Amino acid sequence: MPKNDHYVIIGNGPAGNLAADTLRDSDPDARITIVSNESMTYYYRHKLTEFIKGKAREEDLTVRPYSVYKDKNIRLRLGQQVDKIDPNKKIIYLKHMETVSYTKLIIATGASPRALPSVSNFSKCLNVLSTYSDALAQIPMINKNKTFLVLGGDIISFKFIRMLKDMGKEVTTLLYSEAFWPFSLEADMAQQVKKSLSDKGVTVISDDHIKSVKKSGEAFDIVTEKGLNQSFDSVYSFLGMIPNIRFILGSGIDTDRGILVDDHLKTNFDDVYAAGDCAQIYNPDMKSYWLSIGWNNAKIQGTLAAQNLLGAHKVINPAPQKILEVEGLKINTSWWESF
Amino acid sequence: MSDIDIVVEICGSAGEGTISAGEILSRFMSEEGYDIMSFDSYPAEIRGFGKCVAHSRISRTRVLTPGKYSDVLIALNDSHSISQLPVLKEQGVLIYDNKPPKYHDEDKSIAGWLEPGMIPYGIPLNELAIKAAGNARGRNMVALGAFAALFGISQDAFIQSVKRRYGKKKQVVIDNNVDSFVEGFNWTRDNVRKIDFHLFDSSPSDVKRDQLIINGNEAVARGALAAGLHLYAGYPITPATKIMEILSKELPKKGGVFLQTEDEISSIGHVMGAGFAGKRAMTGTSGPGFCLMSEFTGLSVMAEVPAVIVNSQRGGPSTGLPTKHEQSDLNIALFGGSGDSPRVVIAPTSVDQCYQAAVLALYIAEKYQTLVILLIDFFLSNSIKNLDPPPPPDPRYLNANIAPGKDELKDYKRYQITENGISPRTIPGTPGGMFFSTGLEHDERGKPVYDTKTHTLMTEKRFRKHREILKEIPEPRITGWEGQGDIGVVSWGSSAGAAEEAVILACEKGLKVGSFSSMVLSPFPANALVRFCDRFKTILVPEMNYSGQFANMIAPIVTRPVMRLNMVTGLPMASEDILKKIKEIK
Ligand SMILES: Cc1cc2nc3c(=O)[nH]c(=O)nc-3n(C[C@H](O)[C@H](O)[C@H](O)COP(=O)(O)OP(=O)(O)OC[C@H]3O[C@@H](n4cnc5c(N)ncnc54)[C@H](O)[C@@H]3O)c2cc1C
Repeated sequence: MPKNDHYVIIGNGPAGNLAADTLRDSDPDARITIVSNESMTYYYRHKLTEFIKGKAREEDLTVRPYSVYKDKNIRLRLGQQVDKIDPNKKIIYLKHMETVSYTKLIIATGASPRALPSVSNFSKCLNVLSTYSDALAQIPMINKNKTFLVLGGDIISFKFIRMLKDMGKEVTTLLYSEAFWPFSLEADMAQQVKKSLSDKGVTVISDDHIKSVKKSGEAFDIVTEKGLNQSFDSVYSFLGMIPNIRFILGSGIDTDRGILVDDHLKTNFDDVYAAGDCAQIYNPDMKSYWLSIGWNNAKIQGTLAAQNLLGAHKVINPAPQKILEVEGLKINTSWWESF
Repeated sequence: MSDIDIVVEICGSAGEGTISAGEILSRFMSEEGYDIMSFDSYPAEIRGFGKCVAHSRISRTRVLTPGKYSDVLIALNDSHSISQLPVLKEQGVLIYDNKPPKYHDEDKSIAGWLEPGMIPYGIPLNELAIKAAGNARGRNMVALGAFAALFGISQDAFIQSVKRRYGKKKQVVIDNNVDSFVEGFNWTRDNVRKIDFHLFDSSPSDVKRDQLIINGNEAVARGALAAGLHLYAGYPITPATKIMEILSKELPKKGGVFLQTEDEISSIGHVMGAGFAGKRAMTGTSGPGFCLMSEFTGLSVMAEVPAVIVNSQRGGPSTGLPTKHEQSDLNIALFGGSGDSPRVVIAPTSVDQCYQAAVLALYIAEKYQTLVILLIDFFLSNSIKNLDPPPPPDPRYLNANIAPGKDELKDYKRYQITENGISPRTIPGTPGGMFFSTGLEHDERGKPVYDTKTHTLMTEKRFRKHREILKEIPEPRITGWEGQGDIGVVSWGSSAGAAEEAVILACEKGLKVGSFSSMVLSPFPANALVRFCDRFKTILVPEMNYSGQFANMIAPIVTRPVMRLNMVTGLPMASEDILKKIKEIK
């Protein structure tokens, strides 16, 4: 091992990148490595819908090209999945069978679309959109298909539905309360959303659940509990996000729904921090944990985790609240940045 | 029909079947009607460990170079293969073992060095090999199976080719290879989503089963055999040893004599002896051995004894870089040795030409009773090309000795001054044909004489042969822009393929650029060169040496500014580098 510190960051989203920048700014000689299981460099996830529509190019998605990492002497390991961590030996194990040692580790692995128990039986038939490679793989199919069913309710679903409508697709959405994310909607708010969607020509079904999804030829036959029986070219699911922590389970790092960290973003190991969508953060006043969500929180936390890892003692707070517009609703939230 | 043109590199450790996998792939692609050029590299020292790379370019159209960058890298050994990543193109495909038996240490796994745009296909090479044959030896064939599945190659056709290749081996060897291939093929077909765009024709139209797949050394050996070589004496040296290996087997079968001598001086001594006795004889060596032979080269010229020396150049000086490519023995080939010593230097530009050059060398040596140096190089010696079997040489090339007529034997003058410089030659033992032979200057009967007149006349006679030879050497190869243009690229030896390729690419881009190369460098077709150069504003001479040996040779002949591209990278000349230089000059 070279004698310089080796800071390893897992995840190349906003949390990971801000952490890396902060580390580099204060320690020009340290070895810094970012590991990402995606093969695309740091990009704006919220522009994926524009990318699918053909309104944004790959360059427009990119926050920072690969060359910047080289310039900053940050080793960016793309397309490499961390399979497990040994926080006692301070080693991460990569899926392609390579070990990497660290002196300090920041976990910033974000979140993935969640599969609610009610849909788990037919999750194979459901499409999700959360990464660039999802988008890339789905573009031909989305362009070709005409009728879409969106199991929705999370905030990304509304953006996706808008995209489909802009592309002239026939859209049916099944909204149900478990699917609302990252905030639950009161009955009157849900009503407003339904109206707004209907006005756009979307068929909205509510208070119902999927009973079965069957593939028949190229299409999918859907049956709901209330007796709807219809065929769609594709079915999408937007039921909220869940932190990416599977690879940590059993490592000794405490987890619940996310990675448990104190209000300095430190885990139960002194040299392991977590930031962004994967972190579940302790609030001493409330004596409970909150899950971090959204682009801005990830940026703030990435920066703060790196500062604390370098010796600061800063306390994390959620991003300032802003008004977010969703289908005619005005929501005051710190969870989501309206881009 | 797909117009595919791709470079595949297989990289592994010696003993992992890297080179044989490359050979199997090249052979198969050639049988399927593709043009191939391969170039393997392996450790400098005795084979058995270290990094090996089998590099093959496979194309629908004729290839002139092996290509500088690769489209596909098959990593049989991670840590060796990492150093091949810089030559993998931006959108290049990597096939690697994603389930090795144990974890790689940090930075020792190739998958850890992927860059954006590269397309990795992780295949459990080790696991699949064990599944197929009970051990990991067949990883190379598993990798070929994965390659075949990914790139649209027919499983059946490939298996038939493997069976043909291993035809004489034990059944279990054939089965293990085929099973490993099939395992890799099926696993990849069922588990990997293809995201690159390379595809071969699934049913190629012009299947060719009878092509030769040989390297330059083999082409030289075959050419020499076809030209009636009688004796080969040599001492092993990289990169020429293969010529010796082949002839040690093949020459005795044809009634010839093969000798491994104690050193290079002895080799050339034997060649001179056989030449003196009227037999076609040849030796092969590389720079260091050639240095040792230089004393005898003068004797060949002076005593007018036919001799052919193959010099496969490597990096120098001294023992230098045994397994690296260079073109830096031109000066010693042209001028090495004492005195005014005209010698013929033939530098083939391709594997095909190596065959013709060997025939020509033995012919000229015999007919003109002189020294012929066949100058090849590490790249030509090792680059493998598929070619149609060459037709047997024209009979006039086979029996070229000009013997004295009955009348001439009445008063026989072995070194008779003649118009074309050739004196009728008797074979020792010919009644009435006795003569003195010596390295000293001599009169027409071979008696040592040092007077001014004799030395002048004899020197002129020896040089006159070159005027005659010039009349029967192949025409220089001229390609590219045909009118008045900007840059004329003049090249020699194995760099000529890269030069020609660069000129084709430049012309496609609308540049007015032409290419000139001559297989025979001494005597040199200067008139043809002058005519060529008069059409261009600037002349560019690309060559793999530092001092610009060929550029120095032609600069006084041409009336144009001569620009140089000199490199000593140890690698073959790349068309990309010449093209870049052309653009800079432009
Ligand atoms: C379609 C879409 C639209 C969105 N729109 C908005 C919006 O408008 N406003 C907003 O505020 N937020 C939006 N978000 C959410 C926002 O993108 C996230 O909150 C933010 O990206 C979280 O940042 P992060 O750094 O924590 O994690 P991420 O950006 O998710 O990055 C984590 C990275 O770690 C990688 N990773 C995970 N596990 C491993 C592992 N084991 N090994 C290696 N790498 C791993 C992941 O693949 C990912 O690349 C959107 C998200 C999506 C999917």
